[in-house]
Amino acid sequence: MPNKKLSIRIDGELISALEGQTILQAAKVNGKYIPTLCDLEGLTPVGACRLCIVEVSGIDRLIPACTTPIQDGMSVTTTSARLTHNRRISLELLFVERNHVCAACVSNGHCELQSLASAMGISTVRFAYNYPKLGVDLSHPRFLLDHNRCILCTRCVRVCADLEGAHVWEMTSRGIHARIMSDLNQRWGDSRSCTNCGKCVQACPTGALAEKGCAVEEMVKRTDNISSLIQRREVQA
Amino acid sequence: MPRIQDIGAFSAVREAGLAKLVPAVPRIGIGMGTCGRGNGAEGLYHAFAEAIERSGINAVLAGVGCFGACFQEPLANIRLPGFPLVILHRVQANDAERILNDVSRGNLPPDLIYCKVEEWDHVTASIKYGRGYPEIPLWNDVPFFKSQKKIVLRNCGFINPDDIEEYIAIGGYQALYKVLIDGRPESVIEQMKASKLRGRGGAGYPTGNKWEFMTKVKADRKYIICNADEGDPGAYMNRNEIESDPHSLLEGMIIGGYVMGASEGIIYIRAEYPLAVHRLNRAIEQGREYGLLGENILGRGFKFDIEVVEGAGAFVCGEETALIASLEGQAGRPRPRPPFPAQKGLWGYPTNINNVETWYNVAPIVTKGPAWFSETGSPKSSGTKVFSLVGKVTSTGLVEMPLGTPLKTFIYNIGEGGIGGRQIKAVQTGGPSGGCIPPEMFDTPVDYESLTQLGSIMGSGGMVVMDEDNCMVDVARYFVEFTHSESCGKCIPCRVGLNKCLRILNRVTEGAGTMHHLELLDELSRYIRECSLCGLGQTAPNPVLTTLRHFRTEFEDHIVSRRCQAGVCEELALSPCENSCPLHMNIPRFLQLYKEDRLEDAFEAVIMDNPLPSSTGRVCQHPCDSRCRRQTIDEAVNMREVHRFIADSILLSNRYEHMVKRILVRRLEHTGRKIAIAGAGPAGLTAAFYLALLGHDVTVYDAKPAAGGMLRFALPEYRLPKTALEREIDLIERLGVKFIFNTRIGFDIPLNDLDDRFDAVFISIGTWKESWVYLPGTELKGVYPALMFLEATARGEEVPLGPKVAIIGGGNAAIDSARTALRKGADVTVFYRRERKDMPAIEEETQAAKDEGAKFVFLAAPHRVIGDAAGKVKSIEIVKTRLGEYDASGRRKPISTDEIRRYECDSVIFAVGESVDLDFARASGLSLKESGTIEVNRFTLETSRPRFYGGGDVVTGASNVSNAMAYGKQAARNIDRQLMETNRWAKIVPEIEFGNEVPEEPSPNHRHNGHILAVNARVRSNAEVVAGFTHEETLDESCRCLRCDVKVANVS
Amino acid sequence: MKKVKVATVWLDGCSGCHMSLLDMDAAIISLAQKIDLVYGPLVDTQEFPEDVDVTLVEGAVSSQDDVTKLQKIRQRTHLLISLGDCAVTGNVPAMRNSIPVNKLLQRIYVEGAQEGKVVPTDGVPALLKQARPLREFVKVDLCLPGCPPPAKTIAAVISDLVDGKKREAALAVKFG
Repeated sequence: MPNKKLSIRIDGELISALEGQTILQAAKVNGKYIPTLCDLEGLTPVGACRLCIVEVSGIDRLIPACTTPIQDGMSVTTTSARLTHNRRISLELLFVERNHVCAACVSNGHCELQSLASAMGISTVRFAYNYPKLGVDLSHPRFLLDHNRCILCTRCVRVCADLEGAHVWEMTSRGIHARIMSDLNQRWGDSRSCTNCGKCVQACPTGALAEKGCAVEEMVKRTDNISSLIQRREVQA
Repeated sequence: MPRIQDIGAFSAVREAGLAKLVPAVPRIGIGMGTCGRGNGAEGLYHAFAEAIERSGINAVLAGVGCFGACFQEPLANIRLPGFPLVILHRVQANDAERILNDVSRGNLPPDLIYCKVEEWDHVTASIKYGRGYPEIPLWNDVPFFKSQKKIVLRNCGFINPDDIEEYIAIGGYQALYKVLIDGRPESVIEQMKASKLRGRGGAGYPTGNKWEFMTKVKADRKYIICNADEGDPGAYMNRNEIESDPHSLLEGMIIGGYVMGASEGIIYIRAEYPLAVHRLNRAIEQGREYGLLGENILGRGFKFDIEVVEGAGAFVCGEETALIASLEGQAGRPRPRPPFPAQKGLWGYPTNINNVETWYNVAPIVTKGPAWFSETGSPKSSGTKVFSLVGKVTSTGLVEMPLGTPLKTFIYNIGEGGIGGRQIKAVQTGGPSGGCIPPEMFDTPVDYESLTQLGSIMGSGGMVVMDEDNCMVDVARYFVEFTHSESCGKCIPCRVGLNKCLRILNRVTEGAGTMHHLELLDELSRYIRECSLCGLGQTAPNPVLTTLRHFRTEFEDHIVSRRCQAGVCEELALSPCENSCPLHMNIPRFLQLYKEDRLEDAFEAVIMDNPLPSSTGRVCQHPCDSRCRRQTIDEAVNMREVHRFIADSILLSNRYEHMVKRILVRRLEHTGRKIAIAGAGPAGLTAAFYLALLGHDVTVYDAKPAAGGMLRFALPEYRLPKTALEREIDLIERLGVKFIFNTRIGFDIPLNDLDDRFDAVFISIGTWKESWVYLPGTELKGVYPALMFLEATARGEEVPLGPKVAIIGGGNAAIDSARTALRKGADVTVFYRRERKDMPAIEEETQAAKDEGAKFVFLAAPHRVIGDAAGKVKSIEIVKTRLGEYDASGRRKPISTDEIRRYECDSVIFAVGESVDLDFARASGLSLKESGTIEVNRFTLETSRPRFYGGGDVVTGASNVSNAMAYGKQAARNIDRQLMETNRWAKIVPEIEFGNEVPEEPSPNHRHNGHILAVNARVRSNAEVVAGFTHEETLDESCRCLRCDVKVANVS
Repeated sequence: MKKVKVATVWLDGCSGCHMSLLDMDAAIISLAQKIDLVYGPLVDTQEFPEDVDVTLVEGAVSSQDDVTKLQKIRQRTHLLISLGDCAVTGNVPAMRNSIPVNKLLQRIYVEGAQEGKVVPTDGVPALLKQARPLREFVKVDLCLPGCPPPAKTIAAVISDLVDGKKREAALAVKFG
């Protein structure tokens, strides 16, 4: 049974979308931009980064577009002073949380976090930097994990589980101490479930997961490959 | 016992249970909850068991749950056949033997009786114990239980939680039976909806709707979950409910399962509640045994079973989606809703989750009907809610009240106010994500909406009371530290936002905060509330936002003056005593110097901190006493008497001249700046002392003919002999301060004139205007304002009082007047409109007045004064008052009754409050506060007029000597800094080396107190009532100091 | 027309931002006519002058000496600009921040040294526990991120300021 068509408004414009689609999907299909960071098309959305928050008329709270299904007659606002203010703080907090020394990063210039910050006109953050002491896992022969640059979007966790089916990655610890870990907190190089497919590296929005041997600015991620792979899988299924 | 399959079997079990609950022999019940056990209930139980065995007395011993009065633990109850159930409190194991002996003779231990229960409404049934013991108060006549309504806690403390038969005896499982017989789940849903029961986990979602939603989802498998992951600090309602009455929970869940079409129930409970887990498991076993769980329940063909799952203790697992994740074996991290658990819950099946307490309300609603249920509570929130009332409140425990009850009922009626009469500062509702509510808002009804409006939440029902010893910045920090460490780390606002909040709050409590930090805090908090994924993050900033809103001045104190008034933030205080002292005297220093036999150094240390040490040594309210850590060993160090002795030893001896020279040397080079001070009271004298030391030209004006203000003209000679004060003033004069008397600022000298002639002006006039009550007869001869009377006496003028004097008021002026009148040989009666404990006067003074023969009439307000033909006072009529509602000060408002009484008297002294005479201030254009005092910047003491400063009573209204002096000190510091454009204060702070060894063992001496003159020796004379210490006593007392000021360097 | 007094300061940074400043090609000629460079590594003045209109500060704050300098500069400057990532975020100098100072110095001057294995103390200011951005010490009026910020952006910002306009330059550069 084909999905029912629903009418919703995004930023005042009337559009139609399929029942079951999230606000983010409906917006994308209709060429409306909503900033995202943890979302990657095809992966299970988790609503963690809170950048895709939108206003929905009649609801006081801010709604994550990536996990909220559309409802008929819904009216969504994707840009407002309130939204920009809150999205900006989310980005600022990511920068102070860990050590994103962009100038020395393999993903400098190709980083989703960095380009969102620039797009939002951020030239400084108002909070004090944490400068935590974090490790780098260089044990894998081809890839590396640099916790300094991880924003805990869990794209790696999901791509490994949803697409590769290997479940190498998981999040460990709580709160500010939360980290990405491979297997049962073993070194990545010692992981027996890792298939070395590299999907996690491609899915990673920053320089946290990268190919070894890249110099500054050399690591360009192919997130589109991941999405199209998922699409083709879905067609096959 | 066979499975219950029909009503006959049901009745048989019920009879068996009743025989245990109300046996024909005495029954002794011991409160065996975790709270009781923590206070020795297990030992008590064994002691009774042994005593019964030994004596062979025929009595039933049972472990029961908790009756809720935690502050009276261990609780026990005793019932002799045919008599009321008597609740005993604070029962110890060694009481068991004698209690049993009493019981065997039909008596009760009089010293342990708390209250009695003649008949108990278990809601599902009622038990009549019997009537009698007229001298014992009924349970709901005891303040703690008065107006409590026990629906959820209906069985707690009565039945044995380990015995299903006792539960069935009080109507247990009847509601389930009824529902199964009726066989119409939809009618139960209707009942739940009509009852307006709302989720008791905190969010307050209507339970009926939640159930209905679940019913409508079609699935071949459904789950019912009880959320017993109670993790709020200070909250233990659920633990107690389960420990005391596990079957009520099971019954609620079985009904829920039947109605919503589920056959599996799960109780998710903290592993930290071992007793509750144990009792639940036993209850479930018994339920299965009796045919109330498992296949074919009560023979009605319904299948349902319950499993207990222990949570590992993550706070976030109280959030339903995280709870489900945890049940599935995953890390407890919430996921966004929708889909809601009712659509896609545990293992993807429809799941209904309700809080423990919600389930407890199910059986009562089914039994008594929704109309009965919604009779209780407020229109939008019906029923009751259990709160754990804890913190700085006299009576603590579990309190079940109708929703909509005002906060003040909890705090003042049930909790009986602050401990030892301390002022309550805030109450925090809703656990770590709740907000702090100030006393001005204690009228607020406790329901979901009202609390949300104040920025707090109902939460699961924690209610933490805080008093002036709690620092609100630290409170906010503490709760954020908790939620921060419990954040799952999934979303940015909660993970990083709370971390930033905590770091900022840490900075503020360490004295490294800035005002910009407060803006960031506010912004961050709003962001976290708005953007977080789950309830934990969305509510976590509440403590910050509410404290910022209601207690902003405390944040500012930490940032601007680097002070924590509560004395909690250690980095901001030298020692607790120093922190509590309005003048911030370095108390450990002078104690140590005296101990080192360095009297002159000690004197210098004292006087440089406090220019009126002899006077304050006698009349200071000594807040240091209540902060002294020595209290944890025995009693506070008598710091005030030590500094009095040190001061007197120099000021009143021939070493004075030598010391004057030593002080004069400290004077900084002459600056040529001129400063005028209006008012030669404690504030003015203090400012003059420091400003002169700082090298300025100081001129002090006063309307009176001499310096000293209230110290000289209001404090009677018997409290403060004027010889020491004279010396203190002499020293100030010798520092170069000029005094101009009999001159009123604003009248004899216009303010503009001062403005022209001086570089800065400090206004520190006192509260010399007696508030006046205009009543019939107050114009008569023989009616006096207290201050006028005291001042005239101080000047040596005779005020004709006559033999009988009536005094109106309860403050220090009233007591001073009373004691002065007693010394003139009068018969004195003090009338006060509230009770003795509400009197603002210093307690020791009130007691002294009483000892000296003053009579007191409380709950009495003046009505009129009656005169004779000559226009002289003949008698006074007072109207009796009764105490009404609590006001924001935590005292009950007096309300006049119709009862009027007449007292013969010859004069009446009114001491009903003093205020500032501010006609001049108005004329000068200084801006005033509504209370009629001058408005100043809290930190710089600047008034609205440039170069004019204000401090002391003129700013605060009538206060006390030390507070006024603190203003003088603060003013001197700020005036100097602004005149000289640099901070020179450190230059006049004496650097005296002294020992920093912490005593290895605290000195064994007990506290010495001043020597009080015998009543008959003092009442007819002006001799000083309290004589000072001897050298030996001073030394003893100095040695008692524990040296809290010595900080062990952090070893890294 | 009165020339705008501009100063540049080099704290804990690599001087790359100053290089970028000089890299603005011909623009420097027209700019030079409008400004007076009153202080900085490019001129000889020893003491930071009073009443400077614009100061561009490169580098993070790493030593007590930097703090004192910065505070003085702030007092004497109308408009303070954080120039480049080190001044804005801490950047590379802040990579030492999770290592205790004494361990750091030991590693570099003793373990890592070929000869003269001693931690220098004379004539060098003591390091702060952490290198931190300017904003955490003084009020900063404008941030110009980049490692280094592009010469064009620097030129545009300065000439805007000379013309009395103030704008956040971030639009043209990447942050972080």
